[in-house]
Amino acid sequence: MTTPVVQLRAITREFSGSVAVDAIDLTVERGQFTALLGPSGCGKTTTLRMIAGFLPPSSGTILLDGEEATRLPPERRNIGMVFQSYALFPHLTVEKNVAFGLRMRGVPAAEIRTRVGEVLELVGLAHLARRKPKELSGGQQQRVALARAVAIRPSVLLLDEPLSNLDARLRVQMRQELLRVQRETGLTAILVTHDQEEALELADSMVILDRGRIVQQGPPREVFRAPATRFVAEFLGYENFLDLPGRGPITIRPEHVGVLAPGQKPPPGGEVVEGTVAAVRFRGTDVAVTATVGDRVLHAISTDDTLRAGEPVRLHLPLARAVPLAGDDGDARPATSKQQECPA
Amino acid sequence: MLTALSALALLFLLGPILLVVAIAFSSGDTVEFPPPGLSGKWFTKALAHQPFQDALITSALVAAGATALALLVGVPAALAIQRRRFRGRRAIEALFLSPAIVPELVLGFALFQQLMVTLRITALGALLIGHTVLLLPYAVRVTGASLAMADPALEEAGRGLGAGPLRTFLHITLPVMTPGIVSAAVLSFLTSFNNVPLSLLLNGPGVSTLPVEMLHYVEFSFDPVVAAVSTLLLVATVLVALVTERLVGFNKVFSK
Ligand SMILES: Nc1ncnc2c1ncn2[C@@H]1O[C@H](COP(=O)(O)OP(=O)(O)OP(=O)(O)O)[C@@H](O)[C@H]1O
Ligand SMILES: [Mg+2]
Repeated sequence: MTTPVVQLRAITREFSGSVAVDAIDLTVERGQFTALLGPSGCGKTTTLRMIAGFLPPSSGTILLDGEEATRLPPERRNIGMVFQSYALFPHLTVEKNVAFGLRMRGVPAAEIRTRVGEVLELVGLAHLARRKPKELSGGQQQRVALARAVAIRPSVLLLDEPLSNLDARLRVQMRQELLRVQRETGLTAILVTHDQEEALELADSMVILDRGRIVQQGPPREVFRAPATRFVAEFLGYENFLDLPGRGPITIRPEHVGVLAPGQKPPPGGEVVEGTVAAVRFRGTDVAVTATVGDRVLHAISTDDTLRAGEPVRLHLPLARAVPLAGDDGDARPATSKQQECPA
Repeated sequence: MLTALSALALLFLLGPILLVVAIAFSSGDTVEFPPPGLSGKWFTKALAHQPFQDALITSALVAAGATALALLVGVPAALAIQRRRFRGRRAIEALFLSPAIVPELVLGFALFQQLMVTLRITALGALLIGHTVLLLPYAVRVTGASLAMADPALEEAGRGLGAGPLRTFLHITLPVMTPGIVSAAVLSFLTSFNNVPLSLLLNGPGVSTLPVEMLHYVEFSFDPVVAAVSTLLLVATVLVALVTERLVGFNKVFSK
């Protein structure tokens, strides 16, 4: 196997006594798309900035392409960074922005011209080469930022919530764009996001952070289907947490909980519980139902739009789809909060 | 209604100025309106008036020198205030902006005491130092504003793309600040050039600035010479404003 592009060994960063990143070990293989996912304030940006060299770690080691780089200044790391704010140089045209990294590397002018042309072609902006950044739309600026980072052929592309400033539709569209560019260039990429959908769709490997620590990592399908802890489960949209006698703590997605019509025979397997509808949220194609069963609160997704709060309801829990949890953390967390701020 | 109001406002603003310009071209021997006839003789007289010539040189020297000094101190200060995180950053910022709050006469008197009486610095030196102090808040504020508006990630982007600290400063920070620096320079120059309270206190034998000299002149004479000088200054100021507009845009200069 080739040397990993990025290796973090027990990387820690403290800010005036409080630990933002806590002894993280992370390995990123060549050509891989890794997503760092976690709630706000959990050290994603801090981790990325340490990899880029903008922030020295308090302790630990960073290896880039197998070489010690912990104290290397950013300009000597060959890293392409796409900032959340894009950080395009306002006084330079699109092509000069993209050419900047090549100019700083002393690449001959003729070669700069070809390579800038190629990269702008890659992101579909060749026709806007002479514009200034402020004359571009948000999505176009985003592409310039990506082109500028890609142009230097970095060892690793770092993306800090690159799509968060775009509106919802464009964001979804740009995800595919991002993936295409990464595949076509064969670049190694690390994406920071708090959008689980983005991570699921883009990443080969998903790393979930909580309070500066990695709580789970693996291919998105694995992590999504088998969250290890309640924190990860909550973050990925699991809403029902039960402690079944003989089975220990389990979790089940609201989409998998069935709302039974009066008299309907439940599908085989699993458990049927009776309760009262507490709230119904209309979501378009379906409704999100919250029901109280004894002293428990359960969540289900149903297409039955006639459900009303206060009415009795029967729910079917298909235990075959239940995911057992390690239950080591998060027992103190309220079941309703999906995205909590981490305590500082 | 609104148009009528703005026309009225314009009249109040421009009226006195137009009056001065009209009087400058008068053929009469006193300030009177309407002028009895037209001539350019007061311009000739104003330009030939030795004290005005000397004062103009003093004013230009002081304005240029103080502007340069204020930028030399103010730009690095603005950079530090905007781009570095250090203890007492707020205090430093307040210190640099404080001359803008102290009444100019008080500042002038304090400087007069210190510089000219105690330290026996010449009038020109005192003017230069005094005006530099006066201009510091402008230099720090205007260049600081241009930095504050710029994304702090710009410099990191430069570093990440392979530019060391020096090249990042030269290729990114400096160009991003340039409109702010030009604005600060123009504003500082005009502020110094037009200043009266400070210049009034910090003058000495044969050394005073043009506005102060004009003030002295109207104390003793009542002819349209000062109107002619004012008109020339007006034209010069408008020219500077137009050039600045072409260079960096008006709103950037006057909306600090
Ligand atoms: N320069 C700094 N000085 C002090 N504390 C900081 C600094 N930068 C980050 N922190 C703290 O470190 C923790 C992690 O911050 P970080 O920006 O890495 O979070 P994040 O996961 O990127 O969050 P978000 O999703 O909101 O961007 C936070 O508690 C934050 O307050
Ligand atoms: Mg962040």
